Amino acid sequence: MTRTRTLALAAAGVLGLAAVAGTGTLASAAPSASTVVATRQANYKKMGAAMKTLKDELQGSADKDKMVAAARTLAATVRVQNKLFPDGSGPSSGVKTDALPAIWTNRDAFNADMQKAIAEADKLVAIAGSGDKSAIIAQFKATGATCGGCHRQFRADD
Amino acid sequence: MSESVTTTGSTRIWDLPLRLFHWLLVALIAFSWWSGEEHYMEWHRLSGYGILALLVFRLWWGFTGSRTARFSQFVRGPGAVLAYAKTLFSPSRHTADGHNPLGGWSVIAMLLAIAAMVVAGLFAVDVDGWESGPLAYWVSFEQGRSAAEFHETVFNVIMALIILHVAAIVFYLAVKRMNLVRPMITGRRAKSAEEAVEDARWSPAMALIGIVIAAAVAWFVSTGFRF
Repeated sequence: MTRTRTLALAAAGVLGLAAVAGTGTLASAAPSASTVVATRQANYKKMGAAMKTLKDELQGSADKDKMVAAARTLAATVRVQNKLFPDGSGPSSGVKTDALPAIWTNRDAFNADMQKAIAEADKLVAIAGSGDKSAIIAQFKATGATCGGCHRQFRADD
Repeated sequence: MSESVTTTGSTRIWDLPLRLFHWLLVALIAFSWWSGEEHYMEWHRLSGYGILALLVFRLWWGFTGSRTARFSQFVRGPGAVLAYAKTLFSPSRHTADGHNPLGGWSVIAMLLAIAAMVVAGLFAVDVDGWESGPLAYWVSFEQGRSAAEFHETVFNVIMALIILHVAAIVFYLAVKRMNLVRPMITGRRAKSAEEAVEDARWSPAMALIGIVIAAAVAWFVSTGFRF
């Protein structure tokens, strides 16, 4: 009886360890390509909406609060984006994405573009509440240019 | 068979504003396609406003133009369409003055599809929130994206209608021995002796009013009604 119990306990222990090891592996592994692609796409949509808000406001009532909020969204989101292009999350992963393989073969240029976008978005945040409409428009265009520059090189044309 | 028809001169079936409308529409649709593909969005928007003006003018002209331009003349009921469709494969010339009962509906389909295209474009937003139609500020980013996707879908419908249109012209040339292209350029078609048909008449004053209305509507829309 004791022998059987010992065996049973041992078996349970092994299974338990295996289970712990299993979850451990899952937790430490990089998120799946589909998750990371979905996250970065959602973020880009957030940035697209923020760009639209800025454009609408600059052509319309130029509401300071709305423009500052949109610029902040832009700056905060673009910061996260660079981390959302891990190896294996390109088109070769099988996940539907417009991210071009050039991101991974020309990573330094991609990172530099991301840094430029962050810098311009930060400047936009600084100026968005200034009330100086022509300066905001100029910075809005400068920020948009960094988006477009990167997209031309690293995003598939849909 | 057509040789037996004695032609004594010609008659005007398409008035000048209608022909200008037609060929400008051809040019602007081609230009819109090209500028859209190449992402020259400033040009693409301008081209769209041009098409909007043409549509407004055509609507006006459908009530005030020469008889072949009027909706009341060429939009026919199902009976007339069926009766005409039955004679479609006979090689004899018909004396339909202007759009035939089947072609009239193809005109309506084309105008509706192009109108849908223009309206969707007015509200469309690109994936970056960077480019947009002049009325996109009335809708959210997501709604603007849906408008852009609809804009792309309707393009396929317009392409299908254009292919059908050109195929019909080839069909008339091959089966009915009728050249439909020349009258759309010169405004005139051959007239047989026994035909009692008057030249299509139009009023330059009405055309001018239509042009002013069309330009005004397109301009107001292009500013997003913020002027």
